[in-house]
Amino acid sequence: MIRNAFSRALVAGRAGFLQLAPQSASVAGCRHMSKVAESDEQLTARYVQYFESKDIDHWWLSKHINDLAGTDAVPEPDIIKACLHACRRLNDIAMAVRFMEIVHFKCGNRVKEIYPYVLQEVGPTLKELGIPTPEELGMDKPQLALEDVYDM
Amino acid sequence: MFQLASVEHLDLNMNWSLININIGLDLACKLFYVTMASFAVGSVVRRCGRLAGGAARLSTSARALGGDGMPAIIERHGKREVIGYGYNGQPNYIDRVDYPIPAVRFKEETPQIKALREKEKGDWKNLTKEEVQELYRATFCRTFAEIQAPTGEWKLALGGTLIACSLAIWVYIWMKLFVYDKMPATITDPQRVEAQVQRMIDLRMNPVQGVASNWDYEKGQWKN
Repeated sequence: MIRNAFSRALVAGRAGFLQLAPQSASVAGCRHMSKVAESDEQLTARYVQYFESKDIDHWWLSKHINDLAGTDAVPEPDIIKACLHACRRLNDIAMAVRFMEIVHFKCGNRVKEIYPYVLQEVGPTLKELGIPTPEELGMDKPQLALEDVYDM
Repeated sequence: MFQLASVEHLDLNMNWSLININIGLDLACKLFYVTMASFAVGSVVRRCGRLAGGAARLSTSARALGGDGMPAIIERHGKREVIGYGYNGQPNYIDRVDYPIPAVRFKEETPQIKALREKEKGDWKNLTKEEVQELYRATFCRTFAEIQAPTGEWKLALGGTLIACSLAIWVYIWMKLFVYDKMPATITDPQRVEAQVQRMIDLRMNPVQGVASNWDYEKGQWKN
């Protein structure tokens, strides 16, 4: 995972907190103080394994994508590719486009450095599966406006 | 007797400057409280009103009552397909950048969307950009760009705050014109003020940082 040292400290701090809520089913970012913190490579391998499982369904796909969105990191290109293939198996292009938007969002304020690299790594997979990037669809700028419920 | 006299005189002199401070404090307090209140009120009161009105989700209709007669939560996702756990386990839809895939799709399945889903099962290269966008909008309400787009609410909040501040200033002006008495002669009469300042200099009042510290006692004039 592409992380910075500050986020590492945050994650370690969060682990102790999650320990108090054993009924929470969250998997990602759930580091227990008693265990050694997972390395970036282990996390990457774990998520690639999740997305590569042949019988993945929408529920697990949503869960893993939401967990990834909750981590303080940009997903590695391997994870992105595995997720896009999982979306293909589930015949859901909306999820694939949304996931690319999520990756763009996770880059934070270093979008200009990280996102072109991501697109370069993942571009062949996007071409192969026929997934347009959000920029190609015009979704990098707002297209529709939603009326605020408080203004209705 | 000397002590009593000096205490009395000191009292009067203190009042002279305290009146100005009081008026200043009064205005400052007014402005502070009104600013804080209006800033909070501007963006919060609308939401509070809405929450109170729209919180009722429980129903006591027969359909909603569970086996033990207690009202159950009605699931209002209609025919929308459930695709995940959601951010709280309920089958609701909400646009959140920190929980991007909600529990249900946004739109119910119409025949048109059904046809697109069939086409989706084939090669995605055959889908046009418009079709991809339609499939996206069937599952999601807003794109990330739309979620994060600026609302311009700050203009309402700032404008409301400044209007409230100006009202406070109008109230102060009204108070000054119609409520407060005229300033006493001890403050407005220049001769009296001069005599008081001379007395302060003679008494060496506040010789370190105050009035007497600005008077040059050797030359008999103000320091510059």
